[in-house]
Amino acid sequence: MSQVIISVGREFGSGGRVIAEALANRFNIPIYDRHLITEIANKTGLTPEEIEKYNEKPKNHLLSRRVNGYSNSIEDNIAEMQFKFLREKAASGESFVVVGRCSETKLRDFKCLVSLFVLGDMSEKVKRVMNVYELTEDKAKAFIDKKDRKRKRYHNYHCEGHWGDSRLYDLSVNSSRLGIDGTVDLLEDYIKARMSE
Amino acid sequence: MTAAQIFAVVIFVGMFVMIVLDKIERHYVTLGSGILTLVVVFGICMRKGTAIMDTLAFKNFATKDFWYQVTESESKGINWATIIFIAGMMVMVEGMAKAGFFRWLCMKIAYLVKCKTVPIFITFMIMAAVLSMFIDSITVIMFLAAVTIELASLLKFNPVPMILSEIFCANLGGSATMCGDPPNIIVGTSLGFSFFDFLTNTGLCAGICLVVSVIFLYFAFRKELVSNSSAPVDMSKFPKPSEAITSKKDFTISCIIFALAVLLLVTHATTHLTVATIGLFIAVITLISFGKHAISLLKKVDYKTLVFFIGLFIVVSGLEETGILKLIANFIGDISGGNIKLMIAIILWVSAIASAFVDNIPFAATMVPIIQSLSETSGVPISTLAWSLAIGTDIGGSATPIGASANVVGTSVAQKNGYPIGWGRYCKKIAPATVIVLAISTVYLFVRYL
Repeated sequence: MSQVIISVGREFGSGGRVIAEALANRFNIPIYDRHLITEIANKTGLTPEEIEKYNEKPKNHLLSRRVNGYSNSIEDNIAEMQFKFLREKAASGESFVVVGRCSETKLRDFKCLVSLFVLGDMSEKVKRVMNVYELTEDKAKAFIDKKDRKRKRYHNYHCEGHWGDSRLYDLSVNSSRLGIDGTVDLLEDYIKARMSE
Repeated sequence: MTAAQIFAVVIFVGMFVMIVLDKIERHYVTLGSGILTLVVVFGICMRKGTAIMDTLAFKNFATKDFWYQVTESESKGINWATIIFIAGMMVMVEGMAKAGFFRWLCMKIAYLVKCKTVPIFITFMIMAAVLSMFIDSITVIMFLAAVTIELASLLKFNPVPMILSEIFCANLGGSATMCGDPPNIIVGTSLGFSFFDFLTNTGLCAGICLVVSVIFLYFAFRKELVSNSSAPVDMSKFPKPSEAITSKKDFTISCIIFALAVLLLVTHATTHLTVATIGLFIAVITLISFGKHAISLLKKVDYKTLVFFIGLFIVVSGLEETGILKLIANFIGDISGGNIKLMIAIILWVSAIASAFVDNIPFAATMVPIIQSLSETSGVPISTLAWSLAIGTDIGGSATPIGASANVVGTSVAQKNGYPIGWGRYCKKIAPATVIVLAISTVYLFVRYL
């Protein structure tokens, strides 16, 4: 297949974003993660900071409402803008890697979609987060739990399937087994095999 | 408390919580709660088949009073007149939208004021209020907000103050008539008030408040209304109003049907046609006029809202039949100590505060039997309490972004176009405007009815 869309869901601290960036480099295609925020900012006139504030966050049920399909939750509207943007990119024939944003569900109608989920052992995730964010072990663990809880709520609100459920993805992989580079190699082979179908 | 009362309260509270949490669509929530009320409260606890039949109120369709009413009467159970009227108006509004009426009207007014920011701001506020007197405020705001954003991008001004002001005025306009806001339709049809009754009571209050609101909102937002472009307005770049009309024939028909609907509503106390008859008649002539497009109009009707109402009326009947609402009415009567001023103030302000945070439709539906009971026990005229309730629920809904449907739709349209409106941004100017209008309304109610 000429077009490939690689969707990377990830647990916080599993190295999913780094793996997604490496895959984008190896296939020489753009990646939409932070870049997605800039793209949406350019399109709407919002600042990247404003979008970042509400990015991949579940809406507050007590402070927002939905009427006839119109939601006044800023989180919801930022999410919808991102889903729309991704669908337009996918429909235009562009190949890209996308991190999170319920992309495994929102883009599942595209046959060129390869959906991946990267998880990791808690001990490895804690080490990585302690290192990157300079946190103590307890704080790193709490930070991981908090981030994953948010991602789960965000995902499960916008999608029917459950975040991290292996049945939702083509391939779920534990990055702690082969390490980041080994996982990237494995995924590259898998994606190439899928592309040659 | 009896088992029936406990279950009625649990179902009602559960329904409210589920509506707020928004996990399940609200029409499923009210319908499920309604079925639970029929089965558990009326069937199992009360073993009262007549309560089920009274609540379903199917027999009303066969009565002459349901369609042609010489003497005003009150209704119980599912308020089918409200449902038929709202459905009929939905069909008419879909027809008007399809013909391009709303967009045409917005563009026409913008042209008439030569596309100048401040005159657009003022005329759009007045237009929001006037249209909302006859059409649901969701539709009004949906079109007004979209056109405002379009004009803002052409004229280089910030559309947020204008959208917020339009929302506020749409809610205010909705309070002026019986068909302006769903709580008013419920109050009117349940207690037997006419369109004209509303217009001469809440309408007058809304008119006074609109003048004050336009002045207040202008001064509150005047600094933000300045156009970022110093270049003179080039009207040739603007879309022409006539371009909004999709079909001249449909447009003309829509205008005639709308005028007819207004005429029938204004005169229904004289013609004795009920709102159910008017709603059905307007729907039928719209569908006949649109011929082959009738099916597409019917498909666009918001059936979810109609189902939401049906479930809601059943749940409220559960509270009414079990005597819970009478207990609440007695409680209000006790704390006001028979003081009418205090009673009016409690109904107005409690309704307003509650409506600022929860959906005002279930609130109004619950409060109607309460004020009926309160009127019977305290001797205060039901009309005085009804106007307090209507004004409180309609105006209170303006205070927060989640208080009324128009607020949700308006802020949502703005956000989708890159203008996020959070609670802080919304409440900073609109909450004080709401308090001012409520204060004026309190004085109005005291002066006029005491």
